[in-house]
Amino acid sequence: MTSLMGHPSGQTVGYSFSQPTAAPVKEHSFYPYTDNGGSTLGITGSDFAILAGDTRSTSGYSINSRMVPKVFKIGGDDETGKGAHILLSVVGFAADGNALKERLDAVVKMYKYQHGKSMSVTACAQRLSTILYGKRFFPYYVHVILAGLDEEGKGALYSYDPVGSYEREECRAAGAASSLIMPFLDNQVKFKNQYVPGSGEGHALQPKKAEPLPRETVEQLVRDAFTSAVERHIEVGDNLQMMIITRDGIEEIFHPLKKD
Amino acid sequence: MNHSAFLRAMTDDHSNPSCPIKLAHGTTTLAFRFQGGIIVCTDSRATAGSWIASQTVKKVIPVSRLSRGEDKASDKPTPGLLGTMAGGAADCQYWLRYLSQQCTLHEIRHKRRITVAAASKILANLTYAYKGYGLSMGTMLAGMTPQEGPALYYIDSDGTRLPGNMFCVGSGQTFAYGVLDANYRYDLSEKEALDLGRRAILAAMHRDAYSGGFINCYHVKEEGWVHHGFDDMNPIFWKTKLDHGEFSNVTSQL
Amino acid sequence: MNHFPEAWGRPRDDVYGAYNSTYLQTSGPKAHTTSPAVTGTSVLGVKFKGGVVLATDNLASYGSLARFTDVKRLRVFGGKAVVGFGGDVSDMQYIDRLLESIDIRENYSSHGNMLNAKNLHTYLAKVFYKRRSEFNPLWNHILVAGFDADDQPFLSSADLLGTTFSSPHLATGFGAHLAVPILRRKFPDERGIETISREEAIEALKECLKVLFYRDARSLDKYSIAVITQEGIDLREDEQIEGQSWAFAETIRGYGSQTS
Repeated sequence: MTSLMGHPSGQTVGYSFSQPTAAPVKEHSFYPYTDNGGSTLGITGSDFAILAGDTRSTSGYSINSRMVPKVFKIGGDDETGKGAHILLSVVGFAADGNALKERLDAVVKMYKYQHGKSMSVTACAQRLSTILYGKRFFPYYVHVILAGLDEEGKGALYSYDPVGSYEREECRAAGAASSLIMPFLDNQVKFKNQYVPGSGEGHALQPKKAEPLPRETVEQLVRDAFTSAVERHIEVGDNLQMMIITRDGIEEIFHPLKKD
Repeated sequence: MNHSAFLRAMTDDHSNPSCPIKLAHGTTTLAFRFQGGIIVCTDSRATAGSWIASQTVKKVIPVSRLSRGEDKASDKPTPGLLGTMAGGAADCQYWLRYLSQQCTLHEIRHKRRITVAAASKILANLTYAYKGYGLSMGTMLAGMTPQEGPALYYIDSDGTRLPGNMFCVGSGQTFAYGVLDANYRYDLSEKEALDLGRRAILAAMHRDAYSGGFINCYHVKEEGWVHHGFDDMNPIFWKTKLDHGEFSNVTSQL
Repeated sequence: MNHFPEAWGRPRDDVYGAYNSTYLQTSGPKAHTTSPAVTGTSVLGVKFKGGVVLATDNLASYGSLARFTDVKRLRVFGGKAVVGFGGDVSDMQYIDRLLESIDIRENYSSHGNMLNAKNLHTYLAKVFYKRRSEFNPLWNHILVAGFDADDQPFLSSADLLGTTFSSPHLATGFGAHLAVPILRRKFPDERGIETISREEAIEALKECLKVLFYRDARSLDKYSIAVITQEGIDLREDEQIEGQSWAFAETIRGYGSQTS
């Protein structure tokens, strides 16, 4: 059955006067979401991946806490996350984020117990997509990024929408300041709209080719992205949490950000 | 509590641009049959409201056990079906993954590959069962089997399933149809057909704000499908304009 | 189907009626004014060297009516943790019964270890999250105080959505706006809880309660205060705010015509 909806403006265009409909009876119902603000970002290199997030938690204009981390180790052996080989960042509604993190952590642990080997990042990425889609009709209000190292030891980064569509990328910003950070990343990591000087005239100018960046450069880009986002977004600030995964393990670094 | 009304209030950025959960949507896709098989082409843009969520979406999804995970350009054909994605990105990805599973099970149970007709029916029955729940997908399935030859089906979230020779799906579909209808012939050569597919996507990217990014091209033939590149639209656009004199509405002054 | 994929699969107005934005609560009265009936206002908490203090007033309001003036909103759990409740009083009593039954079960169990404050907080947050996911929330915002497994002072919050966060000082409801700034001024992050004495913490909370009594119209000058240390819990439930001075009130002028 095909249906023709015409222009989807929702209003029917007609020539007769329409009856002014009475305002719908205000139905009071419980609103199960809140936005706890904050922002996260991830960048990969040839042999590492970085996931970072600020540590501010907000509701409305109030700051709940200045120290609520958004980046987690997944599938660790104990509470501290030791032995983990996957990173997850969650931003959006913190309670959903927490529930999601714990589910994924349990899944990765169970996989290890059942199969006697740790879950690959590729498998974990697809499993996370399925978990998110499982709540397609009552979504987790979160934007998550998963990071780790792939089978070849290269940095791997997967980003998701709230209902589980996912894609492997080199860089991704999520959360409140994503619209501020993402264009910066496109330019500085993927070299979008950058050209090789003197490589041609006008339309013949050659675009600068993107190469995986060294770790020091990436760390500095992350810090720059966040210090700048803090200046222009009220929900971002307090501290920067960075987790770097390499073949030697996971390193966690905290950096102060402005607290206004 | 009215659940479908709730879901709509949360996610329908079309009725309410400031709704809290914006889902990623995919946009121009096309596929057509010709003497050398089937051409499948897409753009790569995903939007959430007016925000461009991604410019690098793979909107052609291989649907078969053997080809899963393989997405590298190669001259060797990979056996199996291709699915395209338009509408909700998660809906398409998830259900095509589900279809992939079902196709693999079919191979195991029956010791032969599933027909495109059967595969498309699995998907159509599924979307029909979920009708009214708010799924959003407009997908095409393309494949070649000994039973059917080249076969192309269109399936959407209303439960529609149509066999056909040519489909364009998405907000850029009209622009793509315009180019395709003007230049399509059944006896197109392989190169001509690929170029026509790319040109139609390019037209849609140019005129439709929800389409853009990279042009993704596939060719389905008897032995399987072959990937023919994932190319940035910008240099292709300027090449088309400057070398072939098309898009004369656009000034070439920088 | 039309060529606007953003309209696909969306409920069609001609089938489902117009988009009902009342679920979003963008305007009009908030839903939480309709569901909870008898409510308690702010809960305050501060960590200090060797323990935590928690305080609430003793009022249960019925809308704008100061209905019950002797309701104790601090509940002791297992002799080591205290829960402070804001929000709906009937839901508070339900949770209290829940905690009571857990306490009994834990005491009769053979393993012999009791839930500490951190475990209790995790549990209650999950109860809240489960209920919100069923669209049947427990309308409370609570603070949990006590000690964690390493015997470090613990203070954390959980609300009706299942959102959790922790900070050296916390306040719910009106207190988040009025008390937290006072506490952050007295105990800046740089000070660290090691430098805060028990007396200083108690004094700070008393002052916050006083400010809240001045400005929060749903508050009372009778309050409860609990000091949790390793030695035990000192809970006082019939305290009176002292040293009130309403001299400032004379300087207040209305916002309307009365401006001079």
